[in-house]
Amino acid sequence: MVVRIRVPPNWRAKQFRYRLIVYRCDNCGTIHQWPAIICRKCRSTRLRQSQLPHIGKLLSFTVVRQAPIGFEEFTPYIVGVVEFEDGTRLLTQLTDCEPNELMVGMEVEAVVRKITHDGQSGLIIYGYKFRPRIT
Amino acid sequence: MTTAALEAIKNSAIERIDAIYIGNVCAEILHHQVQLGALASENLGLTGIPSIRIEAADASGAAALREAYLAISSGMIRTALVIGVEKLSDGLPEEIVSITSMFDKYEYTGYQGFTQASLAALLYRHYMERYEVSQENIAQFPVIMHENASTAPHAQYQFKISVESVLNSPVVSEPLRRLECTAIADGAAAIVLCGEDALEGNRDEAIEVASVSMSTDFVSPFDREDPLKLSAVSIAFNDSLTRAKIDRREVDIIELHDSYSILAPLILESTGYSQEGRAGIDAKNGKYSLSGELPINTFGGLKARGHPFGATGVYQVAELYLQLVGQAGKNQVDNAKIGVALSLGGLAATAVSTVMRAR
Repeated sequence: MVVRIRVPPNWRAKQFRYRLIVYRCDNCGTIHQWPAIICRKCRSTRLRQSQLPHIGKLLSFTVVRQAPIGFEEFTPYIVGVVEFEDGTRLLTQLTDCEPNELMVGMEVEAVVRKITHDGQSGLIIYGYKFRPRIT
Repeated sequence: MTTAALEAIKNSAIERIDAIYIGNVCAEILHHQVQLGALASENLGLTGIPSIRIEAADASGAAALREAYLAISSGMIRTALVIGVEKLSDGLPEEIVSITSMFDKYEYTGYQGFTQASLAALLYRHYMERYEVSQENIAQFPVIMHENASTAPHAQYQFKISVESVLNSPVVSEPLRRLECTAIADGAAAIVLCGEDALEGNRDEAIEVASVSMSTDFVSPFDREDPLKLSAVSIAFNDSLTRAKIDRREVDIIELHDSYSILAPLILESTGYSQEGRAGIDAKNGKYSLSGELPINTFGGLKARGHPFGATGVYQVAELYLQLVGQAGKNQVDNAKIGVALSLGGLAATAVSTVMRAR
């Protein structure tokens, strides 16, 4: 049996995937989507947990039609880049909309959604997605 | 792989190979095989010598060449065989899509279903928005590639295409079209490298590897300060020119990594050959065609010659070799003296720049 989704890496990533908790450098502001002990940009060791904003602007978007293994049943799905006020960017799926409803520059907001599942191991992976702002 | 390697050894007239370096990406995933080094030495009848596989996504071949270059420069070995090899047709299309999704940071984008094509498409849309460039300009690049490949006997796609056919081909990830992406390919390329003191046989057919430089960047392109600036490319390219003591204007040919059409302008703008947002227009005006001011991808590049990941970087250098010794046939660039190969891992998280100079 090929194990496609493993529990430990998903467990390790839960703060980021469920709550958008990142590690931000006190010195230069660079964010890390994983628990970092040294800044990838300025090498400062002063990093602290911080939560990304839940609202940002859409910088770019596209549609995945040829999916990797595990995502075939979801095609076509939309992916994009969200840019927050401080310039931080986040790659994310876009949900609750059709591609023709999206425009570069529009406001989008974070929601929690199912990302994929592994039928053999019974795991369901949840995480953030963004949708056009309605709140 | 064996065919390419044996031919390279035979043509080199080098009698003893001291080490083998192999660029490859997918062996354990598609073929359940690791330890390619020992396997290759056995298949070539060279068991006993050191042999190792190098992986740096689709820059693996160029990275392998660099390791060989460093080892020879160090004086520890005198000759090396560099092989790039990939057999992607053993995989299903969705397997190849999955593998390339590993070129980005898997736990950040892969688990969300991002593909390399979708990331390239995000850069593409951002590029068109920022520079107010139409897709027709970017679509010039695959047209040039197919034009060059149409007379290249070793190319995967030996036919011409038009801008219209690119723009009308099926959408992969908008705005990216099918004819702006590479297809699944098998291939192997090999070169023999040696120090000046080990040069035997026909010295006239030897080409100097003047420098090989490598650089890295944040793996995921939108984590970078400016996603449209390929800083790994700029750093590796400038370093390789400095080490070879040449000026950018002296370069006669560029072999660049067009795994997606949008990468060609990004590379040409990151190396200073075109102004930001202008590479497509320069291409349209003929600057980068075989007969132009700076020919690129003279046998069709990744798009049309083919992109078997780990082999690609070695192909680029082997093709520059053919140009610089005047064995490029119908694709020969007149008076070509200096060529640069720019190989990327993923969307330029790794960049390797190799300067080749006719002796």
